[in-house]
Amino acid sequence: MIRLLKSLFASVVLLTVISLQGCTQEQTSESNMAAPLVSSDPPDLSGIWQTMNTASWNLEGHTASKMPVTNILGALGGIPAGMSVVEGGEIPYLPEALERRDQNRSDWTNLDPVAKCYIPGVPRSTYMPWPFQILQTDTEIFIAYEFGSNSRTIFMDRPGTEAPLPSWMGYSLGHWENETLVVNVTKQVPDTWLDASGNYHGADLVVEERYTLVDENRIQYEATIDDPDVFSRPWTIKIPLYRRMEDGARLLEYKCVEFGEDLLYDHLRKGYDGPKALDGSVREDA
Amino acid sequence: MRDYGDAVKMKRFLALTTLIGTTICLQSPIQGHHAFSSEFDIDKPIRLRGEITRMEWVNPHSWLHMTAMLDDGTREEWMLEGGTPNTLLRQGLTDKILQIGTEILVRGYQSKDPDCIPKCRGSGRDITFPDGRSIFMGSSGVGAPPGGFPEDDDQ
Repeated sequence: MIRLLKSLFASVVLLTVISLQGCTQEQTSESNMAAPLVSSDPPDLSGIWQTMNTASWNLEGHTASKMPVTNILGALGGIPAGMSVVEGGEIPYLPEALERRDQNRSDWTNLDPVAKCYIPGVPRSTYMPWPFQILQTDTEIFIAYEFGSNSRTIFMDRPGTEAPLPSWMGYSLGHWENETLVVNVTKQVPDTWLDASGNYHGADLVVEERYTLVDENRIQYEATIDDPDVFSRPWTIKIPLYRRMEDGARLLEYKCVEFGEDLLYDHLRKGYDGPKALDGSVREDA
Repeated sequence: MRDYGDAVKMKRFLALTTLIGTTICLQSPIQGHHAFSSEFDIDKPIRLRGEITRMEWVNPHSWLHMTAMLDDGTREEWMLEGGTPNTLLRQGLTDKILQIGTEILVRGYQSKDPDCIPKCRGSGRDITFPDGRSIFMGSSGVGAPPGGFPEDDDQ
């Protein structure tokens, strides 16, 4: 009797397994027939990448120049020359906005938020002269930046959403267009600059980035800057990203708060005898 | 009952002492990262009516900048400290509600520092909009006065 039940049980199990197999196979073939036309295997952008230019000093073309630290570091402390990464050469400012850019530029060491270790935002984080690491999954692409150990998440699975508040890195939504990762970045705080030479934006900035893997070790990066309060039209920068290929390449630490502290607070120290007043402005008698 | 060696007895004694000692220490009044009374004056309540000129959605405190219209018709520039952006968001304040140009009434407390350099400063308590809605904007846990706002009856 027991033997009978055992074998009955075994055959029921076997039949169940076989029929489940059948069901699964049917489902698979159905889903294959309904497969979307977009490539199911997007390129893998994972790895450590870095730009190799002077865009973080100045997006537009510039000659080599001195800066405040040149007094102390000599030839090590100059800004190298660089070609413009802006399509068309110059950034198309509205006339009043260009005046503000020039005001920014005249006092950039005090006004550049990144000098204080504030988060550079997008796209400046991409072309800071520090590497960054891309980690890619189907639902999110995470970028970790060595500068300041900043990071951002590009959400691939929630199109049409928006952030309720502005932030320093903004809100990034991504999707694939064939082999190109397209990222739409909104809601960045208006307090970031686009480079160290005073190029800036307003509160309604929208950035569209495009990452295209052109070969194993190079990404062609483009970013379109769109802010009608500051610029007369959207404009695009184009920069190659190179893979960091040395053995053991990894992100190291660049915690920059300590580097920015003296710039921010030195004038509040006891015994300070420099040119700044208590509110940080340069005294007229300095 | 096993007989523990002297070393173990000593360890247990030290561990217990540390635990009791720490508990005692924690009973003292907790200072937050930023005590209200170190920067702001509970005896200087302010009531400011005017327009928002700038919003800083930053941590550890957001800052609301406004141009206040004083009783004598002059204008004064103010910046009011609020809670974190997340705290404000939970109260229902977003950047669509706090836009540049929005008319508001802010109640709070002025800073102990009387010099308005670069702007007069205060700790914001609540914001009232023209439609009568009032939303708490302050930080919690910093020792800000919890009770009613003085001179509420002349509203």
